[in-house]
Amino acid sequence: MIDLFYQFIVNTGYYLADYRHVIMIIVGCVFLYLGTAKKFEPLLLVPIGFGILVGNVPFFKGFGLGIYEDNSVLHYLYFGVRTGVYPSIVFLGLGAMTDFSSLLSNPKLMLLGAAAQMGIYFTLLGALFFGFLPKEAASIAIIGGADGPTSIFLTAKLAPHLIGPIAIAAYSYMALIPVIQPPIMKLLTSREERLIRMPPGREVSRKERVIFPVVGVLLCCFLAPTALPLLGMLFLGNFLKECGVVNRLAGTAQSAIIDTATIFLGFTVGASTQADVFLTPKSLGIFFLGAVAFSIATASGVIFAKIMNFFLKEKINPLLGAAGVSAVPGSAREVHLMGLKEDRTNFLLMHGMACNSSGVIGSAICAGILWSFFI
Amino acid sequence: MFGIDYITNNNGWAMAVVGATTVFVGLAVLSFVISQVHKLLDAWENRTKDNAVAAERPTKKAPARQEQRLPTVSELCSIYRPLVEQLQEPFLLTQLFEKSKEMDLPHPHLSIKSLQEADVLVARGDGTFTWNQQKAL
Repeated sequence: MIDLFYQFIVNTGYYLADYRHVIMIIVGCVFLYLGTAKKFEPLLLVPIGFGILVGNVPFFKGFGLGIYEDNSVLHYLYFGVRTGVYPSIVFLGLGAMTDFSSLLSNPKLMLLGAAAQMGIYFTLLGALFFGFLPKEAASIAIIGGADGPTSIFLTAKLAPHLIGPIAIAAYSYMALIPVIQPPIMKLLTSREERLIRMPPGREVSRKERVIFPVVGVLLCCFLAPTALPLLGMLFLGNFLKECGVVNRLAGTAQSAIIDTATIFLGFTVGASTQADVFLTPKSLGIFFLGAVAFSIATASGVIFAKIMNFFLKEKINPLLGAAGVSAVPGSAREVHLMGLKEDRTNFLLMHGMACNSSGVIGSAICAGILWSFFI
Repeated sequence: MFGIDYITNNNGWAMAVVGATTVFVGLAVLSFVISQVHKLLDAWENRTKDNAVAAERPTKKAPARQEQRLPTVSELCSIYRPLVEQLQEPFLLTQLFEKSKEMDLPHPHLSIKSLQEADVLVARGDGTFTWNQQKAL
């Protein structure tokens, strides 16, 4: 009986746990705290945080319990991450939720979405400089796009062993937008620039909104066909929303479908951060480079807006460049808040959303381009 | 291995330049195209409106609109006599109506009514009608 009791004890998580599990469980609790108490990106941090807890309950290997063990339930759920299915489904919902009117009314703001992708390529060079393998470097670089699903999609294709740290880094920095972006925006702009008012956009007709996803998918995917799984779904979702004849489908895409995919995506990504896989020197490097990528992306958007102002009669508020990263709607909100701090009547939210939505398209194109380099 | 050489050996510079250029070109082209969409739509709609206005405006050469005139009784008689000859007298008006529909004659209701009023079609009192040859001459 004592033997049986001993066998039971040695198979419990209490016996098998070491300091790495404790660290990861603390990280999971921090995510849950930030998501619930501070309301930082709760839709992402809550499932990820809980996934980290579940993924770091120590267990006896070989029982078919862990996410990396064949035939476990978590392994099957993780299939959607490994194959890039969940990110594509999230993009479908995202498209069905996105109103591109502000972008259509001021298309030049799309260039800020392109400029903010420069963080990706600077980080690609940085990651290579520090000795990451090229495919790993590309996966780390995409963190600069500030788009969780895109980062997961590309990493699943190029460096699946890094999905955990890269996804956690991408989502962490998205949640930390209010901390990371404002100092960079303030540093790179003068008060006069922050006070620049943006004229209200023209009214966009329904026909334009219906045509846009068709034009968008054709132009972007002919350029980077490898972006099809993301952009195809994004523009399909948007077409469902705008065409007006399949409201039921659009409604489902923007609620049940994206919610389901987000739950499984967040939970399994969290669970993939098993301490023995996650706590490595590489992960620290990824977090460092991710922060660099995100900062450079923000800075390059702002700087490009200032450059554009040299050539434009009607000046752009350079704060909008920071919204060129695809963290929707966090970065647009930060731009708006910073504009309001300087002038209580300067509303930049809708212009920020235009840059944000072009950032989503831009980062998906970048993911496609990077993937195509290694095919 | 790491450093500048590692970047060079792995085509890092080329990937960065090509990638950055491609995304810029792609979004610039998309931006340009969507900036033209509303202009094209406006032009198309104006063209459609112009066509509609032109269609409504009467031209000098266009013939005056023909009035929808009902044929006279004698004209109706010449049109309907062959139909009546195909029917056995007495006949029902519905039979004559169906025949006129088969022949795709205009305004069958009004025509038959006119023939009735002119006593060309004579009611027998049992719901059937006969053709009055004298009135039809």
